[in-house]
Formats: sequence, structure tokens, C-alpha cells
Amino acid sequence: MSALTFTMKHRFDQRVDMSPLVCNKLEGLTPVEIAAIELQNGKRKIRVDELFRIKGSDIQNIVIEGSFSKLDFIGKQLDGGSITIHGDVGAYLGQEMKTGTIKVDGNAGIYAACEMKNGYLEIKGNAGDFLAAALPGNKQGMKGGTVLVKGDVGERAGDHMRRGTLLIEGNAGDYCGSRMVAGTIAVMGQTGRYLGYAMRRGTLLLWNQPQLSATFNDCGSHTLAFLPILFASFMKLNSKFSNRSVAFNRVQRYAGDMSELGRGEVLVKI
Amino acid sequence: MLTKLTGGIVFDPANKVNGKKKDIYIQDGRIVSKPRNAEPDKEYNISGKVVMAGAIDLHTHIGGGKGNIARMLMPENHRMDPVAHTEIKRAGTGHAMPSTFTTGYRYAEMGYTAAFEPAVLPVNARQAHMEMGDVPMLDKGGYVLMGSDDYFLRMMAANKDQQAINDYVAWTIRSAQGVGIKVVNPGGISAFKFNQRQLDLDENNKHYNVTPREILKSLATAIKELGIKHPLHVHGSNLGVPGNFQTSLDSMAGVEGLPMHLTHIQFHSYGTEGDFNFSSGAAQIAEAINKNKNISVDVGQIMFGQTVTASGDNQRQFANHGFASPNKWVCMDIECDAGCGLVPFKYRDQNFVNALQWTIGLEIFLLVKDPWRIFLTTDHPNGAPFSSYPHLIRLLMDKSFRNDMLATIHPEAQKMTTLGSIDREYTMQEIATLTRAGAARITGLVGRGALGKGDWADITVYSENENREKMFEKPDYVFKDGELVVKDGEVVKVVWGTTHVVRPEYDKSVEKDLKKYFDKYMTMKLGNFSISDDEITEDGRGSLTVHPTVGEKV
Repeated sequence: MSALTFTMKHRFDQRVDMSPLVCNKLEGLTPVEIAAIELQNGKRKIRVDELFRIKGSDIQNIVIEGSFSKLDFIGKQLDGGSITIHGDVGAYLGQEMKTGTIKVDGNAGIYAACEMKNGYLEIKGNAGDFLAAALPGNKQGMKGGTVLVKGDVGERAGDHMRRGTLLIEGNAGDYCGSRMVAGTIAVMGQTGRYLGYAMRRGTLLLWNQPQLSATFNDCGSHTLAFLPILFASFMKLNSKFSNRSVAFNRVQRYAGDMSELGRGEVLVKI
Repeated sequence: MLTKLTGGIVFDPANKVNGKKKDIYIQDGRIVSKPRNAEPDKEYNISGKVVMAGAIDLHTHIGGGKGNIARMLMPENHRMDPVAHTEIKRAGTGHAMPSTFTTGYRYAEMGYTAAFEPAVLPVNARQAHMEMGDVPMLDKGGYVLMGSDDYFLRMMAANKDQQAINDYVAWTIRSAQGVGIKVVNPGGISAFKFNQRQLDLDENNKHYNVTPREILKSLATAIKELGIKHPLHVHGSNLGVPGNFQTSLDSMAGVEGLPMHLTHIQFHSYGTEGDFNFSSGAAQIAEAINKNKNISVDVGQIMFGQTVTASGDNQRQFANHGFASPNKWVCMDIECDAGCGLVPFKYRDQNFVNALQWTIGLEIFLLVKDPWRIFLTTDHPNGAPFSSYPHLIRLLMDKSFRNDMLATIHPEAQKMTTLGSIDREYTMQEIATLTRAGAARITGLVGRGALGKGDWADITVYSENENREKMFEKPDYVFKDGELVVKDGEVVKVVWGTTHVVRPEYDKSVEKDLKKYFDKYMTMKLGNFSISDDEITEDGRGSLTVHPTVGEKV
């Protein structure tokens, strides 16, 4: 069986809500029924086959060709299976996904991996603001799984994050790890201002010295035995993180945010 | 244009019409007697249907800053409840605190034609009127919040005479374009700012050495002497505290016979008996209401489900923030005027306290004998969103339904309540009194809540249905000022109601001292404080209706 492939016919002016096109929701549907599904497009609804040419039938393996930045909610509540996207995606990529795999070879918009529960999400390009964050007003962001971003990420990455691993090969914007409840964020590039703003617990793992607020306390340098174990867990990834030469176990440790619970840590490579 | 409603069964307690078949004629927005020669231009055959005046909610939080804070605090409550626009209606969101337009439509689609915002802070009154100006379909009005404002407490502390208090109250109600005066936890909001975490009726506010009892007495006297029709609207001391029924009884006695309206009395009727030290004080409260004719109440019934409590009572809101569900809350100070607290609540039928609160509200409804002095509210959104009113009406009118619901709540609460033994079922006429005639009378509205000759044609027509919830949630027709605005429970025409106000007289010289005070302490200048009529009417939608005041020396 070949992958169920949606090829974009042309680019619409209005945004499209792609949430119906996830593996678990298409189970048992024939290609004709899938073609007839209606998607919200701006203020109107359009049929899937108005937007895409459809090929293949393996619903556990969805491919979106020619995607661009107005396709929102791709992989929302994905529960098993895989979605591969060629091109950019809009907002809320993989929102509340439960299990499965999403891979994007372009850039992602805001709120990618928002409140993600488990699974694996990979973005080859850049990700927008609020990566792995909570929806406005909600108390918990990403709750599990792994997110890998090969490019840069916007502001507020990991806002309210609760559990899971966020791996960023590029730079992170301001407020990285803000209001974090727990979990791990690793940033190989530079980080912006207000790192870990109001974080309660959780770990920020950095390769470069950040600008830290006065509410983080320097706890000295340490050799941490758990770091090699953590790096070993990245080995299976197709990423710089799996490269032995980037690993380290010697860190400067900072604790904060002392204006909150103060049990978070920022570990900086030395 | 002459409109005729033919053959309806009319319930109009204001004119002592109890379920009589009667035609109604409408001309130029008002009800007229049968014209001699003229043929109606439009006739609605409503034979056998139930006709009442448009319903009036005399205590519902639909304007003022707290609404917007609640909306910001609970975006998830809005995401879950989107409302699409139609040809004539605007889109909106929200379950516990809907957006303004949705609020207006939902009220009208249940047969309501007026709603009163009970906590208009003078310093925020402009925003409250702007927000109510965005609520379509309904007549509006606001009770101006006093009693914890620094200027008033300074006057009390300095033993200013009653005349001076009266002038200040009149100046405030006119400046804020109000129709009544509300006091929330008298002196307690202010006491919170001086680190007092509770304030009993006879306990001094530490800073001003003034007690809540003195504040109630002074404001109730001012209202009587100024001739403001709506009695002092009191959110009493010790809200939600077990044993507070005694505070409520003492407050009733404290005003010494002056008119007083105790709002959301359910939250103030708790005893301390039983294994959980929480019991119903409904019997004592109802007995006192039955005895004291100067007292009126609205219930503030709770309903099970998610809502948000929004109150000026920052002292009690702070005390209850631990119950916030979801766990997030706001308490704030509002400069010299008062405060504000928002705590999301999820009332659960399997929670002993919530279940007993539910029974206490219903007990009060059923034990208070005079339907002219008790009103149907959930203190929207504090007890439940107003959209639960039809369900509440069914609980009142249908004993077997009520007992079925009672059988599903927390078993210990079932044991503690007398609700199951109360046989009373509200009649149609009593519901019309509670929600129409009585509410219009107690708020001092002239020509509303009644279906007599010359009254405004705010009319609701329901199809008789044994299931009262179904009946009251979807009226066949609603007329606002004579125009058909709702058909089969759907808005068919968007209209804008008037804003009801009172304008008691006062001595203009009060402004001299107030100006000095404003320059020194307030963020706003005196000249900007008063809301002009234009601000309410200039958008072409709003209008003002001034109701008469006749003062009487106490």
C-alpha cells in the first residue's frame, strides 16, 4: 500500500483547518469519503478534493505535498501513524498529539506541538513562537514526547511545558522555558532574554552562556553523571544531538526562577 | 401600526390578571386598550398560549471590568462555546461569561427584556455603560457600588450628618448614571486593604473605625430620603461563611425597618450544624423575610457545572481562592473605590457543600411566601450562568422533578435538607411575579413588567408545556417595545433597549470638596468622572429613561 498523499492543487488566500485529516480519524474511510470531507477555509467550508489531489490509500502513512504556511492544525490529536509534510505548515502543528510521528521539512508557524501529549515531532526548518506551549489560559503545555527543531525557534518556547523533551539545534527567542512546570529543553544555539522566566521546575540545557535574570542563582560547576545517559538517549535521532562530539558532562548550574518555586535549573556547558 | 395578540392566556400580576384569556393591542410601542374602529395591521393568533410581560433580571453581572477579567481569565470557557454569526446576529463566545452580544441574544431568546448590572463601580461606570451599550435586545441599568469607597468612609469617620451623606450618594448615583445603590461587604472591601481578612457586622474597619452596621443604616437612610425606589441592594458581610445566617438576620434587624434588598441570599444562609459543620439556615432566613416586609431578596441559586465567581468582595474572594477550579484566580484593588475578585468555580453535585448550597437556595425559594419580595437569580455568573434559568423554573414548578434531582446529589446533603418534604410548587402567576411584576416594582421601573394599558409592550409568549424547562427556554414570540424581536426562540430583529436611571436632587456645593479630593487622590479628574447623557446616547443605539424619585424624611 502506498502512502495516502494529499498534493496541494493551488494556494488559497484563507487559512485551512486540517484537523480532520489525521490517521486515526480517517480509519475505515474510502478514498471517495476522504475526498468528501469538508475543511474549514476562512469563513466557508471546502471539500478536501477541492484543495488536494489524493493518491494512495495507506491512512497510517499520510503525506502532504506542496504544503504552505496557511495549513493549520495539521496532526491535531494524532493518535498513531505518521504524517510527513513537504513544505511549510501553519499554526498548531501536532496540537495535543497522543502518539505517532510528524515530520515537516519546512518551517512551522506558532504553537507547534502545543499541549502535545506524546509521540515524535520533527521540524527541519524554523518554528514560530509558543513552541510546545499551552493554549492561552491553559495551565499546562507539552506533556510528553520529543520535539526536534533543526532551525531556530521563536519566543516563549516551552511556555508552561509540563514534561517531555524539546531539542533545538538553532537559536531560541526570548522567554525560552518561561513558566515551565517540568521537562527538558536543550538549545545548541543562542538563547534570548528572560530565559526561564518564572520557571518552577525543569531543565534548560545550553551550549552557550545565556543572559540570566537576577532571579537565577549560580550553583557552581558540576560533573553530572546523568548527562551521558541523556545524550545516549538522543543517539537514535537523525540530529546533531546524536553526534558524540557535542555531548558533555561538565556544566555550570544555575537554579531558578527564585521569584517562583525556584526548583528549575539552567545547565550551561563549560 | 396597530398589532393585536389574539387569544392568549395572560398572566399579569401587576394588574391582578391571573391566567385570563385576553387580547392585547399594541400601538407605538405601548399596550393600548381595544381601539373602537381601527383594524389591526398585524395580528398574531396566540390562542391558548401563555402571555407574560418580558422578564426582568434584577441582578446579573453583564457590565463592568470584572466581566472582561473573567473572559481573559478563562479563555478555555470561550473556546468550548463558540457561537457563529447569522444574517442578523453577531458571532460570540462564552458559557460562564458570554460576550456582550451573545449575552443580549441569549437573554432575549429566553424571553427576557431587561437586565440590571448590580456592581457598577463609580470610577469604572463609564466602562460598565459602554459594555452594557454593547448588549442588544435588553433594557439595562446599574446599581452603583458604595460603602467601601474612601470618601464615604471618611465622611462616616468624621461623623458627617445624614444630609451630607445624602448629597454625596445622590451626586454619585447621578455621576455614574445608576438606578440604585449597591453595597458589597459593607466596609469589608476597604478593610481588606488594611489587612483585615474578615469583618463582622459589628466589627470596626480598623482604619476608619466604622462598622458594617453603621454603613448599612446610613446608606439605607440616604436611599429612603432621596426617594430612590430600589432599596439598598446589599451583598452582606461574611459571604459563604458557615454560620452567616445569623449575620444576615442581624443585618435585617440593623436597618431598623428601612427598605433593604439582600442579594444572593443563598450565599448568606449557612448554619454550622451537622458532622461537617455546614448546614442550612434557610428556614430562619425565610421566616425573617416573611416577617419583615421591608426586606426583599434575590436567591442567587447555584447550579451544578462550570462557572466563574465575579465579585467586588475581594475579602471573601481571597478567602475562597483555594477552591478555584480551574486553579487560577484574580484579586485586585480598584483605587479608592473598592476591589474585585474572580475565582472560577465548578459546582459539583457529589460535593457535600455544593449539593447543600443547591438545596439551600431552593429551600429559600419555597419557604418565602410573598413572591413580590423574592426574585429569581443565579447571581449570574456566580451561582450559574443565566442560561440555566429555565431549568431553575422547572425545579420550582415541578415537585417530582425536583425530588428526582434531589435524589442524585451527595447523600449526606440529602439527609441534611428539608427540601424533599416541601410540597410547594410555584404557579404560573407566581413565576410571572418573581421574574416580571415584582422585579419591575422593586427596581422602580415605571411601565415595565406589566401588561396594562399604557405599559411598554415588552411581551413574551410561551407555548404551554408540562416540561417547564422546555417551555421557558424557547418562547414563541418576544416583543420589545412593541416590536417582534424573537420568534420560536430565535432572534429575528436586533433592537437596543434603554438605560434606566434615577436623578435624585442634591446640593451642588458637594462638588467643591469632592474636587479637592479628586485632585489629591484619584486617577481621574472630577470633570471627567461624571458620565454625560451623550456618552450613552450618541452612538444612536442607547437611550436614557429617568424614573421619578420622591424623597421622604426618615
